[in-house]
Parts: sequence; C-alpha cells; structure tokens
Amino acid sequence: MRSCIVVALLGALATTVAAADGTKATQATKGDLPGTTWRSIAQLPDWSGVWELDWQRTGLAAARGGMPKLTPEYAARFQKYQEEQKTGKHLQTNTANCEPPGMPQIMTQPYPVEFLFTPGKVTVAIEAYSQMRRIYVDGRKHAEDPDPTYQGDSIGHWEGDTLVVDTVGLIPTSLIAPGIGHSDQMRIEERIRRLAPDTMEIRTTIIDPQALAEPWTATRVYKRHTDWDLKEYICAQNNRDSADPEGRADMNLKR
Amino acid sequence: MNASTRSIRSLTAGVLVFLLALGSAAAHHSTAMFDMTHTVKLTGTVTQFDWTNPHTFIWMEVLDPAKGTTESYSIEGMSPNYLSRNGWTRHTLKPGDKIGMEIHPLKDGRKGGFCATVTLPDGKTLRNLPGRSNPEAPAAPAKNY
Repeated sequence: MRSCIVVALLGALATTVAAADGTKATQATKGDLPGTTWRSIAQLPDWSGVWELDWQRTGLAAARGGMPKLTPEYAARFQKYQEEQKTGKHLQTNTANCEPPGMPQIMTQPYPVEFLFTPGKVTVAIEAYSQMRRIYVDGRKHAEDPDPTYQGDSIGHWEGDTLVVDTVGLIPTSLIAPGIGHSDQMRIEERIRRLAPDTMEIRTTIIDPQALAEPWTATRVYKRHTDWDLKEYICAQNNRDSADPEGRADMNLKR
Repeated sequence: MNASTRSIRSLTAGVLVFLLALGSAAAHHSTAMFDMTHTVKLTGTVTQFDWTNPHTFIWMEVLDPAKGTTESYSIEGMSPNYLSRNGWTRHTLKPGDKIGMEIHPLKDGRKGGFCATVTLPDGKTLRNLPGRSNPEAPAAPAKNY
C-alpha cells in the first residue's frame, strides 16, 4: 500500500517536472501506443543531442552508483575473484580485449549515448565500442526463448514522459560489475526521463534472484552536451592492453 | 628544456583518492599495470603520436642526464574521443616536439606509463588523465569497477 502511494507521488512529481520543463505530455491517438507513429513521436519529450554519464565531477565508480547485495553463492564467487586478484588474475575484464561489456555496463561507460526515435522503436546509439541497443515500443512481448545477446531482448513503453524498458536474454559474460556475473533469470528495468533540458535520469533496477539478495537500483544522472556528436570508437584499432585468459594485465610497447 | 630531467614524487592523498575513484580510467581496461600512486616527470622529444582508439600513445626519447643516454618511452593516454572534447587534437603533438610530461609509470619497470599531463613546447600544460572538479565527492571503494 505504502509503495503504491510512493509510486503515485513520484508519478505526480514526474508530471510536475515535465510540465515545468515545457515538454508535452504524451497523448497518443486512440488505439495508438506512444512512439509507434511519426505523429505520436512528435509528442514525445525532446531527447535529441548526446548524453554523457555525469562522471567527470565525481569519478567513474561514484557515478556508477555502488554495488549490489549478493546472494551467498555469488558473494562467495566474488570473494574468490577478489582473492585471486591479489595473485594478478582478473585485473582486467574481457573489455581489455575489446569485447563489449554488454548490458548493463554498456550504459555506464565514460562516453556519450544518443536516443533515436523511429516508429515502434527507440534505438540507443552508444559511442563506447560502437554499440547499439534496440528497444521495441510497439507493444510486443519479449521473445519466448531469445538467443542470449550482449544487449539482450529489450521492450519498452512510455509512461508519460518516462520511457520504461525491460531487458532479458543476456549472455553470461555481460557482467553486472567486474567479478559479479548473473544467472539466466536476470532482468533489467530502466526508467529513463529528463529532469531538466540538459539533465536526464536513468534509474536502473536489476532483478536476479539467483545472483542478487534483493533487487538493486542505481539512479544515475546524464548530461546533455549540445556541442558534441557521437564519434567512432573502434577498440581493435590500436589495442595494446590485451589481457590473458585469466585477466592478467599487460601493455604492449612494441611499435 | 635543454636538459632532460627525471624525478619521482608522491601524490597528495587527495589526488590518490581521485585516482582510486577513477578506477578504470580508460573505460576499457583497469589501471592495474600502472603505479597510479606515483608520478614520474619526463622531458624529451616526441617521435610518434598515435591518435587512435581505444587509446592514444605518445612515443618519446628521454635523455637520462646521469648516464648521458636516451631511452625510448611508450606512454598511453586517454582516447581521441575523450581528448578531443578536452582541448586536444591529432595535431597537438608531432615528431620533433620537445615536451614535458607527467606519467604514472608501469609497475614492471619497463619504460612506459599512463600520461597525466603534457607540457607543450609553448609552455602550455594540457591534462590527459581526467581531473576532478569536486574533491569533496565520496570515492567509491572498488578500484577495478
């Protein structure tokens, strides 16, 4: 009951913020889901431009927002991982070998992202590792048995000016954080909304009863840079930091 | 910049806290191979500047005044994506430039490290590793996060 009231209050707050912000409320035509036609897209909030995780003020780890509470099984695994780090293992993750991090970590890289609205779909273009997420807002359900992928199977819908995204079907190597894996039950819910013209909030909740003792929510702030464009990022261009299969760090100094 | 100098000094605790908070400074790998608690000052001559992802690399010849010999250093930097938004271009350094540099050295003793700052021939200093504008912000515990 109490959580219902909180949700209602938050909803009211979001509406107030959106109204103060001058953005239009979503009013889809009858039988028409928001974001499924060009006409309804025109009524969605303006997320144009590129958005960067607000990490340069506080450092990257602080901007990413802490660590989840693990189940005993995953806590034991993480402890072993940390102990092995003292022997030189696991000092790098697969990203040192240019493997993209996948969801959820692809959303917290120190590089900007861009949101593209087309009928029935929100595409997130991500500068880091030149990645792309496809979020279907056309009312479809998750694929019944999705092939596990780096970005997962994402469906979304608009609640007023908030895009709510649900993601499942992630590969085992898409870690929650270095040393913290997940089960095939992991589900990620994102609530994305603009707080001010150049400020966006993404509230990410990770649910995985096998890995996490309780759902983990991190609220992150992104800043719009009106004078930036997304740039190319090809990790294989000149990667001199490859790690061995056990994650030992190295640097190639050969010219 | 007639004679090359090389000195080691400790960083202040505040800067150290920032470096720990920075964690994976370069997004795609941790800073495990560098001694982020120490800064080495180098002066020398640029021989090559790689304006490439995922990292820039600066190659320079550094004179060791004690030995009278030059040593080749390979210094990793932030990506062109990051640097181009922070005052750098691919023309910032070119072969023959005599520059000063602060690096966090490789732990294994080889001649290399991660670039913190560069002092250009005109005396202007550019930061490479991100600075922290809010030193009061709490540092996160995980270094390799």
